[in-house]
Amino acid sequence: MKSLLMMLLLFPLLGGLYHALLGVRLDRRWSEIVAVAAVAGSLIMAVAAAVVAGGRPVIFPLLEWFSVGELAASMDAMYDPLAAVMAVLVTFIAALVHLFSVIYMRREGGYARYYCYLNLFVFFMLVIVTADNLLFLFLGWEGVGFCSYALIGFWYRDAYHADAARKAFLVTRIGSAALGIAIGLFFTAFQSLSMDYITHHAGMLSAGMVLAIGLLLLAAAAGKSALLPLSIWLPDAMAGPTPVSALIHAATMVTAGVYLLLRLYPVLVLSPVAMGVTAAVGAVTALYGACSALAQHDIKRVLAYSTVSQLGFMVLGIGAEDPTGGLFHLLSQAFFKALLFLAAGCIIQSLSGEHDIFRMGRKVRHALPKVYGCFLIGALSLAAVPPTIGFFSKDRLLLTNLTHPSIFHAVLWIIGTLTTLITALYVFRLFFLVFYGGPGPKRTQAPEPGPVRPILVWTLYPLAFLALAGGVMNLPIGSWNFLDRYLMPVAGLGPPLEASPSLEWGVRIGNAVVALIGIGLAYLAYGPRPLKEKPATAPDSMQNLLYSGFYLNKLYHRWVVRPYEQAAAFLSNRVDHGGVDAVMTGSGRLASRWSMNLRLWTTGRLSTYLGVLLAGFTAMLVILALGLL
Amino acid sequence: MTLYTGIFYLLGVITLTATAMAVTRRNLVHAALWLVVSFFGTSLLFYLLGAPFLAALEVIIFAGAIMILFLFIIMTLREEAAPRSFREVWRRWRLPSILGLISLVLIGFFILSAASSYHRLMPAMAAPIDFGRFLVTDYWLPVEIVSFLLFVALVGVLYLGRATDELEEEESLPSVEEEA
Amino acid sequence: MIVPFGHVLFLAGLLFLMGAVCAAARRNLIMILMGVEVMLNAAGLVFVGAALHWGTLDGQAFVIFIMGVAAAEAGVGLVLFYYLNRRTGDTDADSYHTLKG
Repeated sequence: MKSLLMMLLLFPLLGGLYHALLGVRLDRRWSEIVAVAAVAGSLIMAVAAAVVAGGRPVIFPLLEWFSVGELAASMDAMYDPLAAVMAVLVTFIAALVHLFSVIYMRREGGYARYYCYLNLFVFFMLVIVTADNLLFLFLGWEGVGFCSYALIGFWYRDAYHADAARKAFLVTRIGSAALGIAIGLFFTAFQSLSMDYITHHAGMLSAGMVLAIGLLLLAAAAGKSALLPLSIWLPDAMAGPTPVSALIHAATMVTAGVYLLLRLYPVLVLSPVAMGVTAAVGAVTALYGACSALAQHDIKRVLAYSTVSQLGFMVLGIGAEDPTGGLFHLLSQAFFKALLFLAAGCIIQSLSGEHDIFRMGRKVRHALPKVYGCFLIGALSLAAVPPTIGFFSKDRLLLTNLTHPSIFHAVLWIIGTLTTLITALYVFRLFFLVFYGGPGPKRTQAPEPGPVRPILVWTLYPLAFLALAGGVMNLPIGSWNFLDRYLMPVAGLGPPLEASPSLEWGVRIGNAVVALIGIGLAYLAYGPRPLKEKPATAPDSMQNLLYSGFYLNKLYHRWVVRPYEQAAAFLSNRVDHGGVDAVMTGSGRLASRWSMNLRLWTTGRLSTYLGVLLAGFTAMLVILALGLL
Repeated sequence: MTLYTGIFYLLGVITLTATAMAVTRRNLVHAALWLVVSFFGTSLLFYLLGAPFLAALEVIIFAGAIMILFLFIIMTLREEAAPRSFREVWRRWRLPSILGLISLVLIGFFILSAASSYHRLMPAMAAPIDFGRFLVTDYWLPVEIVSFLLFVALVGVLYLGRATDELEEEESLPSVEEEA
Repeated sequence: MIVPFGHVLFLAGLLFLMGAVCAAARRNLIMILMGVEVMLNAAGLVFVGAALHWGTLDGQAFVIFIMGVAAAEAGVGLVLFYYLNRRTGDTDADSYHTLKG
């Protein structure tokens, strides 16, 4: 078991090392093979470890890291069902993305760098997933942040991409700082950083401590998982290559924050306030992301805002005391979002780099019929149409909120249902514009879609299958809730609250109807229509508001970036140049003037030295005499 | 007041006078000769204070070997001592003299304030044979070290004092290059 | 008795300071070396007096070492002086100031 886990972690790490050390020197083909093989090997190890563990939590130390006083940061691994599910998911999506990358990036230079960071990305994510010690987790957490920075800024010579990478790095640092403080609080409270220990002794914490830690963990998750108000980096993270976007959105980066909340759920659940805030943040983020996605032009930005929205749903589920539901939605989102992103990658490559959905149209459908089918499945799953996995997971989250005793969650349920409607609307707006759009003013200069390599399409099939039929893993009927039962041994994770069958079915049918209404609205506004007719548009002010993501970037610029720049300018000009530097140069000048005086003493003449020697002798005698007196 | 006391003061005065004359002479040969007198006085003081072997060594090494060395060097210089103005001499001597006087006062103060200064020294004598045995049993290692020091000094002196033509040959090399 | 120990010390101190003042005040290299010899000699006198004072031979043993050091110092010092003098023909200590800072 230990060797399995070691291999699970070592495969991508060694892959990354290979690319870093040998990648450029050896043939490109070898880099591709090593990259895919490393992640595929990891996938096999993850599955094997899950089988061997057999649903029981397993904890053991991998390596000693360092220890200072009572603080022992050993690399302890924990492989419980939650970690197993996540590890399999991460390696599965990552393996497909790596395979996709081999074809998609075949004409790009810098392949060694690309595969190195891609493999390390998977490695650090697996560290987060399997870590038991919080500091070990933090290592992975920061590693993921760094790799995302490197991959988003893959085309770093372009200022736009480099800025996006920096933005992602800086914004996620806020979350990291919160996590760092939370780790410190954990250590003061428990004298231990083992999450297993912490989750089993969470009851020891005082109420204020629980609240502080809960909010800090939420802030950490918000930074990594792009929840409000730290969501601004994710839409810009689209600057990276499309397979990287798929990896970030589906498996490695954004799920880390949600995973952290799941892992430490027994602590979070102790504070009702923190839970309420979590749920509210989730709901508002879901609505915010969905609304913003309505007005985007870039196919990848639509999907990015939809990720923000879906992450909001997951956190809403956690806040409503159904962490298993949150994890279930995480899985479902991973499947259909990876599917949608990879399909979008196919379309973009077919159109030789075109991102604007108003320049796509029915020609795409004719050129890429298989991609069209896969994209439709992904869209249906995202829109939560039965019987896709998206329907079951989202339905469960909404039901949980409705059955929650607090009236507050009823409000959140309304927001969630509204978001479901908007989700269906925006995803099918996207779908119709991409595959059915007629020639508009922009479409005349649109590039002709070309064929794509079949292997790109093949990678879509397993994802499409899972997005369509993955719901089987946790059906709310009878004993089909495999996931719930598998996750039972994990602290804090269990089945949702019981609801009466009539309410359950009512909500379920209601959700399906809402989703279909959304699709219908999208069809009316953007569906196939005569060539001349323009698609429906909202008023300009509304359009701009949504397009810019509620001016969130401008708000940050106005209230955070600008004051910061002013403070920095003040510190640089007045304090640093005027104060610190003046003191430094002043003392330097003083020293050099003094040394000019001292220099006179080194006359090079023996008589001076001997005279001074005699004077020193006399001075010593004087001091001795003063001591005697 | 014994005979020894009288001899001590007599020798002290001779030594001090000779030293004072030695350090103030402009003529180097005169200075060296006065210093020889000073060393003889010291040598007799050693004898008086019970160190006959050291008294002999003082004459042989200080008054003999070292001062002869000085005289050799002085004679190779053939330098005429130019008379100097009183003002210049005063300028040179004033600061060291003041410092010396201050130090002297302080040393006197220390001597007066130390109890053992009032201890009366009784005549005694260390036979050379006892001293020699003592030296090579208790202090054989320092003796060896001093001998090594002298050996190193010998090598250094031999190196620096090589024959003149050898030295000139070495020094003329750069000037040849300059001409070329 | 001969004299109190303090008188020996005072005599030696006087000799020592004469040597020190000579070394500091004179400019001639040979006179500076002579001053140093005088100082070493004064130190030897203190050792001999102290040996008599405490009735042990260790003080006298140290005079042997002082003589060794004085001989070495005089030899090396004089040959250095001779070497310099042969190159520049100068006996004034202050003519050699190439180490001026």
